[in-house]
Amino acid sequence: MKGTHGKLLEVDLTSGKTRDLPIPEEYFHGYLGGRGLGARLLFDMLPQGVDPLSPENLLFFLTGPLTGSMTTGSSKFVVVTKSPATRGWCDAYSSGRIAVQLKKVGYDGMVIRGRANEPCYLRIDDQGLDIRDARHLWGKDSFETEHLLREAEGETSSLGVSSIGPAGEKLVKIACINSDFYRQAGRGGVGAVMGSKQLKAIVIKGREGAEIHDRKCLVALNRENYQRALVSPVAQARMKYGTPLTLNITHSGGILPTKNFQFSTWAKALEKIDSVGVYKSLKTHKSCVSCFVHCSLVTEAAEGKYKGVTVEGPEYETLGLFGSNLLIDSLPIIIQANVLCDKLGVDTISAGNLIGFIMECFEWGILSPRDMDGLAIAFGDGESALAAIELTAYRRGFGDVMAEGVKGAAAHIGQTSERFGMQVKGLEFPAYEPRGAFGSGLSYAVSPRGACHRRAWPPAKEILGGYPPYTAEGKAEMIRQLYDDNCVLHSLLVCDMPGKFIPLSLDDYANYFQAVTGETVSRQDFLHIAGRVETLIRMFNLREGFTRKDDTLPYRTLFEPLPDGPARGQCVGEANLNRMIDEYYACRGWDAAGVPTPSTLQKYDLANS
Amino acid sequence: MKLIVNTFGTQVRLKQEVTLESASCTLQQVLEALRKEHGAALSRFLTDSGAPVEGVAILINGRNMLSLDRYGTMIHDGDELTLTVQVAGGSE
Repeated sequence: MKGTHGKLLEVDLTSGKTRDLPIPEEYFHGYLGGRGLGARLLFDMLPQGVDPLSPENLLFFLTGPLTGSMTTGSSKFVVVTKSPATRGWCDAYSSGRIAVQLKKVGYDGMVIRGRANEPCYLRIDDQGLDIRDARHLWGKDSFETEHLLREAEGETSSLGVSSIGPAGEKLVKIACINSDFYRQAGRGGVGAVMGSKQLKAIVIKGREGAEIHDRKCLVALNRENYQRALVSPVAQARMKYGTPLTLNITHSGGILPTKNFQFSTWAKALEKIDSVGVYKSLKTHKSCVSCFVHCSLVTEAAEGKYKGVTVEGPEYETLGLFGSNLLIDSLPIIIQANVLCDKLGVDTISAGNLIGFIMECFEWGILSPRDMDGLAIAFGDGESALAAIELTAYRRGFGDVMAEGVKGAAAHIGQTSERFGMQVKGLEFPAYEPRGAFGSGLSYAVSPRGACHRRAWPPAKEILGGYPPYTAEGKAEMIRQLYDDNCVLHSLLVCDMPGKFIPLSLDDYANYFQAVTGETVSRQDFLHIAGRVETLIRMFNLREGFTRKDDTLPYRTLFEPLPDGPARGQCVGEANLNRMIDEYYACRGWDAAGVPTPSTLQKYDLANS
Repeated sequence: MKLIVNTFGTQVRLKQEVTLESASCTLQQVLEALRKEHGAALSRFLTDSGAPVEGVAILINGRNMLSLDRYGTMIHDGDELTLTVQVAGGSE
């Protein structure tokens, strides 16, 4: 298929051997690429029961047929592996030049297995792959690592570099993989998997991408869609304010995580850490490679101890989880927390959630400064939050417990702390309170990677759309549709943002797909593929021992009524959750235990899997 | 009655106090009055007839009017109206 190379680069770090693995043409037709291809490959290639941090685990970096094609939002890649945080399926998405460069060296992706004897990094160009000594980089933060690698290559612009920070080296279960300094494949502890292989970084320098079927048509589609973006009030607002605008909406709608999800609104956030506050600290706008939508903001701390600290961000999730969730209304502190997490290689979503959990443990007297080498961690105390990031990333003192994530930390701490440990399957909640929009609860519960905001964005329907938020009614089909739409985008593999705010439909992406590959695909074809992919991922998790019992929500979400905001008095409740799950399984063609039925397997050509 | 109006678009404006003559009325009547009295400021959100432009949502005390009684929803003194573009999400 045009737009693809039909091969994967396999690197065995134990033996030092590499080889090309052909990707059968039917995989692209049946799974597209990205998430879909990852589902097929991980299911086929990873034996059951492998320890996620053992040499046997596989670490995939995958692109899609649209990657590097100039399609707007197409400089994305996905890291697919078995997660050390959940011990199940993991797909973590990121923008980065490495996505485009992978295509330019002639591969649709790479898979890394084994474990190197010494810290190493991979350098790949048109001539092949080198496994290089990285002992001089081990221990360095992601920014310094990337600077040194770029300097060594003598050029700084188009090179693709992905790396881990100290958190990945220390096998911290909320460790991420950094690219282009400020871009993260954040979720599920993918950085720890990379660290477990003693792989510090990957550097890729290519020349030519995959063949494009109709470049003229591709350019015309981009022109047309750019014109649409220019007149779209949604796109214009997003290009001005970026994701921080979401904080105003979640605050208004009563789904803003506040004080470790105890509350759902926080008036003190307004004009300080929302779109208005962040815009005051704006230095410039940025866009990803291959995207005409500049929705990223570069900001600089304007005052105080961290004055002058600059970051590409902070994005909404970081503002929600390091801001309202920790009762921190200082943007400079949040900017510093963002930079610290990026440097040390820690996911800001999981870190903010984890620190909120620890702060609540302090509030209830479950933890005290004695447990933290004298450090008191309190809501509203930005400096203690920053200290907690470092403890976690380096596994220092109590940081060794925190490095296990909320689920692991709650198991260690005990004393019913798991009731307010806001996670599903071991992955921490992102910045949306499900009691104010029950669809988010279902989405978190059934997500195969744990609490996830990327498979679906239910506030679009329950806050900004006409779906009543505090009911189970209609939520299963709503979530299935949102999941399937994003599954297509994450398999092609393009950013799901432009599609939402230009807006672009799956028909628009079918046009891009045809221009790049020359193949005609309908919206229905795309959705059929999405159904197959989601079912295969379900089968992967079932094989790893997951059951319906894992599709659940924390005690707080189920049983504690919200004390404030538009959703005051609401909690999801067991009956609502069970009903939503029953209906979700049914509309997926899975039985009451969440196991795909024989007819569903047949429908998706998965009967032999 | 006094209303609090927020607008989230290419300009974000928070907690604007708006005074209307009637003590309580429907959303439809409120939107018509707002369009009449604050037309220029709200032109990106409301059409000439007072309906929201495409891509705009209306929240009443945090609830989308589509999940309440739509344009017939009663608005009372002190209520908070939010007119917002339908932006989405936060990245990874």
